[in-house]
Amino acid sequence: MASDAQIIVNADTQIESLSQAQLRRIFTMRQRQWPNGLLIKVFVLPNQNALHQHFSKSQLNMFPYQLERLWNKLVYSGLSERPIEVYDEQQMLQVVAQTPGAIGYISVAENTSGVGVIKLAISEEGDDE
Amino acid sequence: MMSKRKGIRIVAGLWLGFVMSSSVSAESDVAWHGFVSQGVMQASKSNFVNDSGDVSFKLTEVGLNLSYQISPTLRLASQAVYLNGGNRYPEGVRLDYLFLDWNLYSAENWQVNLNVGRFKNYHWLYSSTRDIPHTRPSIILPQSLYYDAFRDFAKGNDGAALLVQGDGTLGSWELNWSYGDTPIERALTKTLLGDAAGGRLEQIFDHQLSFYFQPRDSFSQFGVAFVNSDFEYLKSEQDAFVDGRANTRRIIVNYKYSAEFWDFSTEAIHENVNYQNMLFPGYQQELYSQGVYFQGRWFATSNLTLLARLDLFDMNKNGRGGEWLELQSNGQIPHYFGYSDTLTLGTTYRLADNWSLQAEVHRIKGTGRLSPAVLPDTEINDSEYWNMWAVQLMYWF
Repeated sequence: MASDAQIIVNADTQIESLSQAQLRRIFTMRQRQWPNGLLIKVFVLPNQNALHQHFSKSQLNMFPYQLERLWNKLVYSGLSERPIEVYDEQQMLQVVAQTPGAIGYISVAENTSGVGVIKLAISEEGDDE
Repeated sequence: MMSKRKGIRIVAGLWLGFVMSSSVSAESDVAWHGFVSQGVMQASKSNFVNDSGDVSFKLTEVGLNLSYQISPTLRLASQAVYLNGGNRYPEGVRLDYLFLDWNLYSAENWQVNLNVGRFKNYHWLYSSTRDIPHTRPSIILPQSLYYDAFRDFAKGNDGAALLVQGDGTLGSWELNWSYGDTPIERALTKTLLGDAAGGRLEQIFDHQLSFYFQPRDSFSQFGVAFVNSDFEYLKSEQDAFVDGRANTRRIIVNYKYSAEFWDFSTEAIHENVNYQNMLFPGYQQELYSQGVYFQGRWFATSNLTLLARLDLFDMNKNGRGGEWLELQSNGQIPHYFGYSDTLTLGTTYRLADNWSLQAEVHRIKGTGRLSPAVLPDTEINDSEYWNMWAVQLMYWF
């Protein structure tokens, strides 16, 4: 069983929390800007990756195949770009730390101190409404 | 005055030059993707793919798209495709879409985008990616709604579209509106009307509105779409047809359920078509046609998907058996041109990350969804029951 996913963002985004609805809007490539105007860059692990599957189901409430289909639909009808795929969690941590506006996820156990990413708190749906 | 079509070509040329210049291609905000696919198919006893009914390789779909994020709120997106589907639609290279996507408003839980240019039809379940092989459930889509002869003006428009999307306490929703038209090539006029049509068919406008809703924490999605479109036919000097008009109004409802190892989709259409003149002076025809498909997919393994679908279409809901066609044509058009019911069994095998192989068989009763659409080819399509199979290899990046 995969460990829980910790959402991380680049420090430039200057945010500390998101609602579950906003998280879904970002990973379904609908929300494209952070509140400070910076363009959102979404990073994901490969479709078969256990953490990706767990993240998709538990945090987005979607099956990985639904995400994949939605991204394909957006890319080939011109409505949006798809997330950028990284190989593993180490690379995820590096690119999110180095890319302004980046968002991604790693295992909760992963150490992030001093690398330039912020761990986001995700509030349950309805909390912000 | 410069025609809209010429304008689109000029913008396409400028865009291509812009992207080809090295200053832009070095930017990370330019993204490109594409797909290549080749298949083989056979539709015996019908002219669906070719007139002979022999095995055909006219199942080629190739595309390349480019997008450029100009600013956080402005994006330019384009795609060119080459399609060869035999008799299903005219073969050739097409500018599939080229539009400016402007994020007009963005709040925490909803947003508004405006698309201007040539954009896709976002209103039906598969309309925006009907030519993208790896996004389709099957090689041939259910013809009740995705009739191939109507493909070119059902795939999108030149005009403007407004897309509103949000997440609320009840769930997530989408409201799409579009207005525009589609240039109709000579070859498409023949696909629709037949070789005897020497004149020009034009789409005056296409107006669509759709609403989708997915309840919170639910795997169901509900949708409804409305279409209103006008066409005009201008005859040539040597022409079997006369000046005329046609109007179509459609209501489409759809439902989708996505479980972890299977999904179910259904889409139903109720259409009202009006013809005035066109076939001969004084010709008036009003038809209410109906169609529906039910489709189930089972994700048997992570690489293997199996599909079963039943697709039903009646050209005239007040004469589902098609006898009215025989009466109107003095027996020249058989009754089975009044409907088209199809049972499809298919499979998709994911060979590698970006490679798939799709295969399917269709058993069809009726010839109501073959081309030409208005004056059917009764010589080749002389069988009420016919079969079709297709296999397609697809790669995307």
